[in-house]
Amino acid sequence: MTTEDLKAFEDKIYAFVGREVCPPTPAKDAVNGAMIRQWAEVIGDTNPAYTDDTWAATSSRGQTIAPPAMMYVWGQEGFAVTTGRAPDAQSELVNLFNEHGYSGVLGTNVKQEYFKETSPGDTVVMAMTIDNISERKTTGRGPGYFFETLATFTNQHGEKIGTQRFKVLKFIPQEQPAAAASEETLQVPTRIASPRGHDNKWWWEACDAGKVLIQRCKNCQTLRHPPRPMCGECQSMEWDSIESTLEGEILSHTQIHHPKIPGYQYPLICAVIKLAEGTNFMANVVGCEPSDVHIGMKVKGVVEQVDEKTMLPQFYPA
Amino acid sequence: MVANVKDKAVIVGIGNTKFSKDSGVSELSLAVQAVKAAIDDAGLKPSDIDGMATFTMDTNDEIEVARALGVGELTFYGRSHYGGGAATSCLHQATMAVATGMAETVVVYRALNGRSGHRFSGGVSGDITTADAIHWGWYMPYGLLTPASWVAMFTQRWMHNTGVTKDALFEVAHSTRVYGANNPAAFFYGREFDRAEYDAARMIADPLQLFDCCQESDGGSAVIVTTPERARDLKQPGVSVRGVAQCAAENQEQMTSFYREEFAGIPEMETAAKNVYEMSGLRADDIDAAVIYDAFSPIVLWQLEAWGFCGFGESGDFVKDGALRTDGRLPTNTHGGQLSEAYIHGVNGIVEATRLVRGTSVNQPAKTVNHALVTSGVGIPTGGAILGRMD
Amino acid sequence: MSDYKTLTCADVSIGDKLPPLDIDITTGLVVCGALATRDFEPVHHNKAAAVATGLPDVFMNILTSQGLMTRFATDWSGPEAVVKSLDLRLGAPNVPGMVMTMTGEVTAIDSDNSTVDIAVVGENNIWGMHMQGSVQLALPQEA
Repeated sequence: MTTEDLKAFEDKIYAFVGREVCPPTPAKDAVNGAMIRQWAEVIGDTNPAYTDDTWAATSSRGQTIAPPAMMYVWGQEGFAVTTGRAPDAQSELVNLFNEHGYSGVLGTNVKQEYFKETSPGDTVVMAMTIDNISERKTTGRGPGYFFETLATFTNQHGEKIGTQRFKVLKFIPQEQPAAAASEETLQVPTRIASPRGHDNKWWWEACDAGKVLIQRCKNCQTLRHPPRPMCGECQSMEWDSIESTLEGEILSHTQIHHPKIPGYQYPLICAVIKLAEGTNFMANVVGCEPSDVHIGMKVKGVVEQVDEKTMLPQFYPA
Repeated sequence: MVANVKDKAVIVGIGNTKFSKDSGVSELSLAVQAVKAAIDDAGLKPSDIDGMATFTMDTNDEIEVARALGVGELTFYGRSHYGGGAATSCLHQATMAVATGMAETVVVYRALNGRSGHRFSGGVSGDITTADAIHWGWYMPYGLLTPASWVAMFTQRWMHNTGVTKDALFEVAHSTRVYGANNPAAFFYGREFDRAEYDAARMIADPLQLFDCCQESDGGSAVIVTTPERARDLKQPGVSVRGVAQCAAENQEQMTSFYREEFAGIPEMETAAKNVYEMSGLRADDIDAAVIYDAFSPIVLWQLEAWGFCGFGESGDFVKDGALRTDGRLPTNTHGGQLSEAYIHGVNGIVEATRLVRGTSVNQPAKTVNHALVTSGVGIPTGGAILGRMD
Repeated sequence: MSDYKTLTCADVSIGDKLPPLDIDITTGLVVCGALATRDFEPVHHNKAAAVATGLPDVFMNILTSQGLMTRFATDWSGPEAVVKSLDLRLGAPNVPGMVMTMTGEVTAIDSDNSTVDIAVVGENNIWGMHMQGSVQLALPQEA
């Protein structure tokens, strides 16, 4: 792009500064308890100010409020966005960027300020403008521009309840070799699998099929775990196996707090379990509070799929 | 059967590099710096070295260290396996080589970028393809894959069986940090530490919290072992190996010996202790100070029991009486240990035990140290040594 | 209501740490979080749409992250605290299978206005910083 072309392009984008994205528009639904409850359940927020009418009535506010972080939620367009958004100044600006190669998009900052809380029955009215556009910047993602929208929120009485500034980077994506791109598709992590060799492959294959086996010496019947090629009692190399009932008792346990390894679900409890058959076995304990796990606890195992690739015995309180 | 190599090998030189979290140099550089420091300490020349002993985990090949330093021929090189269990095993190797005449002057070294390079706390992973990986495979899928988690599993059971509480773990953690705070070479130099900070620190794998766990460090340590005859001509007072032993006990796994009838204990260290005492003709009562491998606080307690300083389950009371302090029954980890000085896989511990016998520890106890104990990492095949003044 | 306590400025010191909070990033949390915030952008509920943008799976929308941030702050402060502002810098996406650990520390106290500023970081265990920023709370005046 020549200097003149760049100037012409920048003149066009800077003309968007101050333009209205949407005029003051009341949300389709008033602030309401049903949406608040759904939000609180998913976010895991047990704040009684949001969902406990009895508590709220006696609180300094006298009533429940909407979570402040829901301020923008009320005015969301809804399911229609799955098939595209109605044109507005923001989409025009985005298209202009895209046409000039600035097709990358990255939300970088969002700042909300809250002036007044809302409660069920209030109506949130949102207006939005394009507030500012930066000069051209060189970023780690590629050259681009930051633009910032400013949303202002009022209630049905015209009182200002908050603002939101949302900053977006539009950039020219860095060239990437086509071959590398597919290899770089990131995988959802799964648990680290055991390598499989002569001495343990059969055990893990049975585990894949939902069974926990215990190796048994064919000569002296001694059970052994983990599997190994020779019986330490009689030195026989002949062996078969029995299927464990997975009934057992915890001999020791630890809850893994740090580091958290990709692919594992936390809280994560590991325990050494004495199986009813007599061999000891290390596995996870699930299905109870970590604080309930104790030495001497009776557990019962079941082989479960724990992620996309992994079958593992997991032990529950018996 | 205990072979007797009592006083047949003498530590004549010790050396550490600077300990840091980012050395900015290669592990080979750390290794040769540590070895050179030990050679200088002894008043030797690189060409005097004819043997080397290090860890299987060490990435610095003996011949690379030898070429870099200008050492000539090597007639002995031996490696010891099992992580920190190798610390005094290297001394064991060096002692055997010197006692049998396979070499005259052997350097024991260990150098690692344990913080800026590969970090043990990251755990084992499926990437390794050795036979060892089959063993770790019984634990990795469940998420039991860091040293802290393995030690935590033993600790939970041992505390359950003995009734020892976190108070004892804190005393181990605190006593080493008081020493470390007074050691300019230590990470904890000049740093305050109290029970409130200990209790507030993040849980790693319960019951182990952050300050129950050692540092991860970049650095190198080396000690030089030679014959008593040669030692008499050298710069430093000789520190004699009175006894040294290694042991892998029955049903041993690396860090996961969960398949014993009872796993709240370290039978491999009990055997090593018995053999070192037998070789040296000494008893626990004869030991004046100690460097006890402390990758994690509870393992110090188990070793106090294994070496007979107190009975099984009594180590909690033993340490709470102040035994590990500078005026206590057994001043321990006076350099700050691996909890507070640096984690050089226990070889910095051999350096400190040598200083204790020389009388040059930065936290030297007031009493005369005739004999100092130094041990290797536990939960794995392990060992220990008793050092004393050369006659 | 006596079950719920709310901190006042007198209870708080600069440098106080908030209890860390681990959030398991599940498909359920990502999809339901998007729906609960009326965010129907396909990348938050349709894996194919997310994969087309170069990510391995659906990823958490900003409004859910904002919700988690305010929850983290008010879990600590108690329910009478009023959230005054929320300022986030956005980092790596949260994708199912990850764990995000949130940590926070009190960085400023304004006793005259009875407000506290809390610096908060939400870091996932695979790609690192997901969000970083600050929450300002107004705490009740002392009784």
